[in-house]
Amino acid sequence: MPAPKPWRKFANWNFFRNDDRLLLIAIALVVGACSGLAALALNRSLAVVLHWLQPYRTQVWAFVLPGIGAALSSLFLDKIVNEGAGHGVPEVVYAVSRYGGLMRFRSSYSRLVSSFLTIGSGGSAGPEAPVVMSGAAIGSNIAKYFSLNDRQRITLVGCGAAGAIASIFNAPIAGMVFAIEVILGEWSALNIIPIAMAAVSGTEVSRILRGNQIAFEHRLFDIHLIDIAASVGLAIAAALASVLLTRTLRATHRLAGRLPVPLALRAAAGGCAVGLLGLWLPVVLGEGYHAIDEMIGGHFTAGLLIVAAAVLAKILATGLTLGSGGSGGIFAPSLVIGSLVGLTYHRLLVWAWPGADWVNEGCFALLGMAGLISGMLQAPLTGIFLIVEITGGYETILPLIIVSTIATTMSHYLEPASFYLKDLVERGQLLRPGTDRRVLADMSVRELLETDCIPVSPEMRLRDFIEVLKRSRRNYFPVNDPKTGVFLGIVYLDDIRPYLFDPLLYDAVVVGQIMHSDVAVASPDDELNDILRRMDAGRLFSMPVVSDGIFLGMVSKATLLDRYRRELMVQTCWQQGA
Amino acid sequence: MENRLLHIFRNTPLGRETFLQSIYFCSQIGLSLTVYIPLSTKFLMYFENDVVQVDLDNSYLTGPETAEAHARQLIEAAGLRAKFLTPKYFTASTLPDIPTDFDFMCCPRTISDLSSKVGLGYIGPRVRRIVGAARYPVLIPSVAYKPWQSVIVFFGGSSNAVKAFRLGLAISRRSGLPLDLYTQAEGRSRADYREGIEAAGLGQALEESVRHWYFFESGGLEENLYNVPHDALGVVGAFGHGLIRDLLFGSKMEEIQSILPNSLLIVGPKYSARF
Amino acid sequence: MDLTFSQIAECLSVAEPTLERWIRQGRIPVERVGGECRFNLAVLERWARDHNMHFSLSEVEQKKPPGAIADGLAEAMGRGGVHRDIGGDSINAVLKNAVARLTMLPPPVRDELYDRLVSREQLSSTGIGRGVAIPHPRSPIGGGMPIIATAFLRNPIDFKAVDDQPVFVLFMLISDSIDSHLHLLSRLAFCLRDDDFLAFLRRYPEADALFKRIATFEKRLDDRH
Repeated sequence: MPAPKPWRKFANWNFFRNDDRLLLIAIALVVGACSGLAALALNRSLAVVLHWLQPYRTQVWAFVLPGIGAALSSLFLDKIVNEGAGHGVPEVVYAVSRYGGLMRFRSSYSRLVSSFLTIGSGGSAGPEAPVVMSGAAIGSNIAKYFSLNDRQRITLVGCGAAGAIASIFNAPIAGMVFAIEVILGEWSALNIIPIAMAAVSGTEVSRILRGNQIAFEHRLFDIHLIDIAASVGLAIAAALASVLLTRTLRATHRLAGRLPVPLALRAAAGGCAVGLLGLWLPVVLGEGYHAIDEMIGGHFTAGLLIVAAAVLAKILATGLTLGSGGSGGIFAPSLVIGSLVGLTYHRLLVWAWPGADWVNEGCFALLGMAGLISGMLQAPLTGIFLIVEITGGYETILPLIIVSTIATTMSHYLEPASFYLKDLVERGQLLRPGTDRRVLADMSVRELLETDCIPVSPEMRLRDFIEVLKRSRRNYFPVNDPKTGVFLGIVYLDDIRPYLFDPLLYDAVVVGQIMHSDVAVASPDDELNDILRRMDAGRLFSMPVVSDGIFLGMVSKATLLDRYRRELMVQTCWQQGA
Repeated sequence: MENRLLHIFRNTPLGRETFLQSIYFCSQIGLSLTVYIPLSTKFLMYFENDVVQVDLDNSYLTGPETAEAHARQLIEAAGLRAKFLTPKYFTASTLPDIPTDFDFMCCPRTISDLSSKVGLGYIGPRVRRIVGAARYPVLIPSVAYKPWQSVIVFFGGSSNAVKAFRLGLAISRRSGLPLDLYTQAEGRSRADYREGIEAAGLGQALEESVRHWYFFESGGLEENLYNVPHDALGVVGAFGHGLIRDLLFGSKMEEIQSILPNSLLIVGPKYSARF
Repeated sequence: MDLTFSQIAECLSVAEPTLERWIRQGRIPVERVGGECRFNLAVLERWARDHNMHFSLSEVEQKKPPGAIADGLAEAMGRGGVHRDIGGDSINAVLKNAVARLTMLPPPVRDELYDRLVSREQLSSTGIGRGVAIPHPRSPIGGGMPIIATAFLRNPIDFKAVDDQPVFVLFMLISDSIDSHLHLLSRLAFCLRDDDFLAFLRRYPEADALFKRIATFEKRLDDRH
């Protein structure tokens, strides 16, 4: 028997196995620190390369830079690490909902490199989704190393995501809330504690390495009731902007998919287009943290029309970068667009009611960010906590809550699923814990199969069939071809009840005459969700399961209900305070 | 429940040979065959505690329009039934997930590197990952199709070797072909090995079902393996230990696979006997 | 105690693949030793209770193998014995005398049996026609294996049978469970449907000859399945 490696052994100690909370907290600290480091590495290298490229930005030829970066990033993903494009968060949620959080090791670095190439060269995308993916993959692979089970692994995936967000924004609460609200979708004490620890260690790593600084400093805001009232309008504007961004992203993605050129060229074309936009409005380039800083500080001087144009330009640039195959997330662009929207809204207000005593424009920029993030992610808590933490502005909490919640509701009204989860919802793969879909997805036909049916042959006389009937505990009898074993049909007891007591028919009728040959059958690989839908449509209570023409057993609603209940009890244990 | 073998079809002459091996294996022991004709060069396999991304070598995508017809032709010639797998789930749009709840899988020695590398002594890294993670044994067929007339289990005394012995027994029973045992003794006597088998409750099977026990106390592996029938299917257990331990201590499975050109069935560390 | 995988699955009444998945997903407490899974019964029971699930070991152990109730008619008749020359001219008197012959039962059980037989007869006669009656208690009497006592009467009496023919033989069927009761009853009825067998009974056969005859019937029945 292969001895477990000694350094993995502590995970096998009974003390940890019986109550894994301490074990999870210990590993969560490590996961948080590692994913925090990964996030920091991307963040710092982006800052360096953006600073380094800054002098060349004004040159006319600089517009090709984002093109080159996007092409390289696309080549890297496609040829070197063999991964698809995209920002990665749906992949994390997919792995969590379907495969117990199993992720490839290469995911822990691939997006870091590719998004570094895209964003560093000036592409309009954010580094957050890539660090979330790599943090999650780090968590998953550490769990794999210790041979943890699915539940523990999922928690560690959440820890990785929390550590990454916490580290990149120096915002522990936002990291925690993001991991739970967006990635896991399950609030339970078993999850929250390790994730909180990971957020702490991720933040601490970031604080040690780059100091405890708030991401976006700002002046004190003096908020009046009128501003709070005005924030309702801002929320609607932000929701509209987020819907526009979502649709632009999808449209560019679709259009780019139709271009008959290699992936890298496609990405290059998109990047160059972004570069051209950037020549005119430099604010659209890169992840845009610097621009946010200016806007919140109130140093962004451009006029109303320019700012309004910048909103559209940034949306377009983000669409071009990501839709054409660049790599990165929409988190940072959303922040930029949000603050631009806030600024536009503020300037409109001032223009319309110049006499009113409006709060500083930086405050509206900040509220706009919260609105856009909430609208895109449809996760109001993440929006609220993130903005509070990255700006250190607790005094804005009231309008912040209003903007976040209204923007979430509004955008939910127009786009039923958030940008991160839209793909999954469309594919029917968003399986949040404790939902009907999840319970059904976890169970398989093989687990429900009733195999105690007695097969009969079509040539059997009714007289012999009645003997079989005596021995059976079931009301249905599969009919198989005696030579090939192929399933031909099924005999339902209900249908033949009238003939059973008529001895005259005993020798006159054979099974082949009384069977149903056009029964709806299920395959063992079918999803229970589909099988149930078909049962409901045909008003069936059971269905034969047939694979390659061979009868395997029956699935019935009665067994399904029994097992479904058991599954639900097992899956929702923590909710009962067990 | 029927037992199933997964085969990844390659529409080339080399792929045909491996496919014929799979078909032969299935008809010998009564498995149902599941064929995957790759649509893209990559796919994922989610195992219990690992996820393996398989990046196929480009030859797997040869002639997609004729692939299914070719496969069907071979299947029908053998009078077998087969199912063609269409991936239902996708991790990313170009990255299908291939189910892993099979009872066997057939892998050539390498599936991600160029097939020109195929030779004895080389098992590609992806195939290794699959062997290491899968709950099912992996069939590594010989380069050219060759029916086998007996089953030989390489028994080294470890718990995995006991699993391999169990599997060999099942295959020999299902196929009605004779079963042999091969042991290269490492400082232990025949009685010690027998004790191990008896402790696993297989003493009776050893008496009744094993035709011949090739037992070597001396001589090199290469020399002794010459005694293994050329038309036997080998069943061998593989440890899950990492590269470093393999480099330091070597592994019997590695040596055997580098010497023996026969088709091999490799029982990985996660194998759980369901067959 | 070490339970096998399938036993655990049965205790929780789920399929084995479900149990495998629960282990993989970390939903059920399990100890992993090498590649093997070990369950701690006490932990498992607590877990099941916490999840409001039924977990019973005893049921699995008590479940009889399917062959257990297929206990033979001949064996049951052998245990009951053949008794002759039962006197009495009323149903109750005959029953009383017949029960008195069942010396393998302790006296209190015999008294109870008599009461129950009488109350069953009051419900409706157990005379099934053609001179045969099968007196039996309405609910099983516990303890021991099922028995069938054959009692030939000194004089045929009116048993209020369905065909009003006087009854000359009683098969007293005493069983411990409904299952075995029905099983034996159906086998006995199968024999009594045979005309030759009835004629054979009228000759008041010896015990050995009777049991032999029954055994051939049973063989025929078993062959049909």
